[in-house]
Amino acid sequence: MHKKIPKNKEISKIIFKKGELVKEVEEISGENLFGCYQCGTCSSGCPYIDDMDLTPDEVIRYIILDRKEVLNSKTLWLCSACFTCAERCPRDINITKIMEALRQIILRRKIDYSNTRKTTKKEREKIPQIAFVSLFRKNIG
Amino acid sequence: MPSKNYNQKMDHNQGIPLEDDYFLVEPEIALLEDKVLESETTIQGITQIISKKKKRTIDADVLIIGAGISGMQAALDTADKGYKVVIIDKTSTIGGSMVKLDKTFPTNDCSICTAAPKMVELSRHPNIELITYAEINKLEGKKGEFKAQIWKKSKYVDPDKCTGCDDCTEVCPVDVVSDFDEKISTRKAIYIEFPQAVPIAYTIDHKNCTGCGACDRVCEPKAISFLEKSEEIEVEVGAVIVATGFEVLEPSELRKEYGYGKYENVLTAMQLERILSSFGPTAGKVLRPSDYKKPNTIGWIQCVGSRSLQEGFPYCSRVCCMYATKEASIIKESNPEIDINIYYMDIRAYGKDFQQYYDHAKELGIKYIRGRPSNVYENNDKSLTVKYRDTLHGKINEDKIDMLILSTSIIPAKDNKKIAKILGIEADENGFFLQKSLLDNPIQSTKDGIYLAGCIQGPKDIPDSVSMASGAAAKAVGPIKDRKRNIGRNFPPEMNVSHEKPSIGVFICHCGKNIASYVDVEKVTQETKKLPNVDYVEHVMFACSEDTCKKIRDTITILPDKKLNRIVVAACSPRTHGGLFQDTLQEAGLNKYLFEMANIRNHCSWVHSDDKDKATKKAIDLVRAAVAKVSLLEPLSEEEFSIIPSVLVIGGGISGIKSALALADMGIKSYLIEKETKLGGRLKHLYSMFPSDTKSKEIIDPLIRQVNKNKLIQVMTEAELADIDGFIGNYKGTIQHKGKKKKIEFGTIIVATGFKEIDLEGQYHYGDNKNILTQTEIEENIKKDTLKKKPKNVVIVNCAGAMDEKRPYCCRIGCGVSIKNAKLISQKFPGSKIWILYRDMRVFGKEEEEYYSDVLKNYHITTVRYPGEKKPKVILDKNNPKDGLMNVKVYDDILEEELEIPADLIVLTVNTEGEILTDSLKNMLKIPADEGGFFLEAHAKIRPLDFATDGIYLCGAAHYPKNIVDTIAQAEGAASRAAIPIMQGKMKGEGQVAEVDEELCSGCSTCEGICPYNAIEVKPKSDNKDHFIAIVNRALCKGCGACVGACPSGAIEQKGFKTKQLRVMLEALLRNEEKYA
Repeated sequence: MHKKIPKNKEISKIIFKKGELVKEVEEISGENLFGCYQCGTCSSGCPYIDDMDLTPDEVIRYIILDRKEVLNSKTLWLCSACFTCAERCPRDINITKIMEALRQIILRRKIDYSNTRKTTKKEREKIPQIAFVSLFRKNIG
Repeated sequence: MPSKNYNQKMDHNQGIPLEDDYFLVEPEIALLEDKVLESETTIQGITQIISKKKKRTIDADVLIIGAGISGMQAALDTADKGYKVVIIDKTSTIGGSMVKLDKTFPTNDCSICTAAPKMVELSRHPNIELITYAEINKLEGKKGEFKAQIWKKSKYVDPDKCTGCDDCTEVCPVDVVSDFDEKISTRKAIYIEFPQAVPIAYTIDHKNCTGCGACDRVCEPKAISFLEKSEEIEVEVGAVIVATGFEVLEPSELRKEYGYGKYENVLTAMQLERILSSFGPTAGKVLRPSDYKKPNTIGWIQCVGSRSLQEGFPYCSRVCCMYATKEASIIKESNPEIDINIYYMDIRAYGKDFQQYYDHAKELGIKYIRGRPSNVYENNDKSLTVKYRDTLHGKINEDKIDMLILSTSIIPAKDNKKIAKILGIEADENGFFLQKSLLDNPIQSTKDGIYLAGCIQGPKDIPDSVSMASGAAAKAVGPIKDRKRNIGRNFPPEMNVSHEKPSIGVFICHCGKNIASYVDVEKVTQETKKLPNVDYVEHVMFACSEDTCKKIRDTITILPDKKLNRIVVAACSPRTHGGLFQDTLQEAGLNKYLFEMANIRNHCSWVHSDDKDKATKKAIDLVRAAVAKVSLLEPLSEEEFSIIPSVLVIGGGISGIKSALALADMGIKSYLIEKETKLGGRLKHLYSMFPSDTKSKEIIDPLIRQVNKNKLIQVMTEAELADIDGFIGNYKGTIQHKGKKKKIEFGTIIVATGFKEIDLEGQYHYGDNKNILTQTEIEENIKKDTLKKKPKNVVIVNCAGAMDEKRPYCCRIGCGVSIKNAKLISQKFPGSKIWILYRDMRVFGKEEEEYYSDVLKNYHITTVRYPGEKKPKVILDKNNPKDGLMNVKVYDDILEEELEIPADLIVLTVNTEGEILTDSLKNMLKIPADEGGFFLEAHAKIRPLDFATDGIYLCGAAHYPKNIVDTIAQAEGAASRAAIPIMQGKMKGEGQVAEVDEELCSGCSTCEGICPYNAIEVKPKSDNKDHFIAIVNRALCKGCGACVGACPSGAIEQKGFKTKQLRVMLEALLRNEEKYA
């Protein structure tokens, strides 16, 4: 089923020619997506899978099929880069790198909604530090 | 084939005489020097050590390393041709991995039941010297003159004296983890691998034996000798066949996320085979290891370690999909309440009848779930939680299962690399041996004179291994073909027992648990003892084992006061085991027709497994009937006939060409007939070959030149077999050759007629638009360079006309071809977008999977998986249907949505069927074919190259479509099979033939028309020209009995099934009816 992913205005504005999305992902990640057998190993081992709108294997499928709505997906931002998928993928595809590439595609176009400075003191007390570290990492690449 | 007749008697079960003490092993000498000097045996031992004898040398023709099913087949094929074979195995028995299996797919034949007769045949063959518990140390020399050093480890048990009584294991205090049972059970330090082991003699495991002597004390025949030494044997041979087999991956390091070794209820598939086996640790009951309870749910994870670019091996293990299906079906059939899930990526049901077998498994209720679990957790109750993404339903699920089976990859035997070094041949990075040329010469290793058979050059199923083993036997004959041959075996002269009163011996088989669980064997024995003329009754664990055969011989020859003159064996089918027992009779000097079998396994324990009482009663009845018949049996003789030393090869494609060349290498003449104007078959139309991209013409052209040059091969193109008459060894055929009729004579026939693409009958608009092509057409276009316009979007549709209601089978080669052609199109038109629509990607085995993965990555090919019930639709342009842009609508199974792909070139991977010649050959040669027009072999597993009719053999795509590697292996294998009768020179006919009573025969010719083998001719009587009578050709008659039933005058009787012999059987059965009524 074509999954409904809430659209983000800015992200939706990013334009790709046919085949450009795969090309850019492959360029940034250094991974060959066409080697994927769609076996679902990455999804079944993913600790965040229950909250993702697209599963990691769907993300790969969407990129191959040139569906740029994949960039709107929560999945890229939920990925905690734990590398479980990369470790167990029978095709030796580093899915974590692919997630990072997708984030970079967005971030390099200066689309970033996280603003650590604007978090209130109260929020800072509540949010675990690791979340900030993770956020910084995603922004740095 | 008629039963074999060997010239020389040699009992191979005696192993090698223990005569030499040239080599010493430390613990033994320590034992001698230290303590036990006084004892008599020790002094003997020391004397033996002091007198250093010369090393034993065996002069043979072929050395075979490894005695699994491949090694055994190669040995029998070579030895049947008259050459002397030495076969070694590193374990104490022969049989290899096949005997560990419970059943075999896709026929569910019992594995040991099909392998055991071969094992016994091998051990009894006069031309085969069997050395078990031995390894090769060194190989010197070159093709034609190899010198090998064999290290034969001591078994510390004298095989001549050992009776296999099992007393020793009861007292042995040492438990050792059993390798045969895949580490799920233990054996003792003195052991036998399994009940039907050949040779049937115990072995002391030197490493684990404590030397307590308990076994020695209880051994009645005094077979145990701690002083026996290992010995080095020198073997001189002309060729070597390597068949060291495979191992399965133990995923305790690689893929440890599935918990193997950590969680008790996670097993490898091989371990499950042992659990399912009737002589395994649970005697065939499905129990999980943690609590020995029956599991409610069982799961299989496929591709554990296979198809893995990391944490495993890159190749596909080729057999796992089918063995998982087999194991699951067997369990489900007998335990419908057990839930079964198989987690897979692609189900590779690629072979003959495999797809139907898989469909049947789905009907049984086995759930196939497309999704590969990432890891497994153990619960408190020792069950396991498997989390996976069901990729066809887009859901993340968790299943709780009681027992988890891992279909782990097939890996080369661990010491393969060592063996490669010893032999001087090359192995690949995984440890599989390399071929000299994969597509051209797959059996030849990288060194001349050394040939490969079975799984050592890549994973393989049993029929492919067996074909390749036969092929290796053909190749191995090349270097030694001019050596002296020794055919047959002289049995002792036959005793004349016709004047004696019948004295019957009855042997009743337990068949392990196969019969004994369902039939009260003891009761059958007691009832049989009461029958008239029965002087000896015994029930035995395995009637087909060598020790029972010895017992039968002994009761005939040396039983003191009453020598038996008729034998009944109550066991399984005479079709599989009759010949074995008949040989046994002959060895004891008794005519082999004074024998009868009662099939109490198939007819009692199998069909009445739910009612032991009635099964037992029926067994008693059957044995009584057999005893009644055997009393009336008479000794019969067999007609001997000679063999015309040439072969007719039908079909001039790669199969036929390779067969003819292999025959020529063995020095045998052949006629190669081809209906087209040129040799080469389908390869002539193709551009390059999967999976090595070798150009077809580089393979076929040199072969055609070789064939045309070879003086032993007579090539006839534009030729067809018009008529044939005769029988094995003596065929007379008429060949329609370029409009002329030509008569030729030959001894055997190889059918290599190949296959063709089916007629799609307009499916997928094939024929409507000129840009819809079949794979063959696209390849011809690439070859001739006639594709000019660059296509933007190419859609390849796999399984066109395959796996549907009309043709339920998989074409085996289509997936590979589609990948290869996708690559060819990409190379020709860089930038073209290529889509492959597939159902399951069946690129099985070594090389193919790697090729597939490389092509996907290098050419960015997009694959779409579609379900069988929703076939892709081709939509033509309304305005320009013949040449316009098309659209393909396909339901993507994984995305669960319909895609619409524009296409300016569509390539259909069309299903295949047998060649057009199938029908006429079927009738002319009287050989069967299946619905797809592919010929049916004699046995799907162990006789893939033979027809049930003697003298006719099968290879290549006429059997089933297959890639070129398997085709060549089969072609050379068929050549080996067809060469056997020719190299034997003479054969014997059937003894149980029809016999005409000339007085009663009216010469009405009814029988002449009805005989399926053309064995009857009506001729005038020799002394009375006016009286016509039917005359039976005893060499042709198969003893089918059709004429007997048809004769209106009751003038024909069939020997061995005479009316009076059958009447007493019926009387015996009916008498029982009254008793129990």
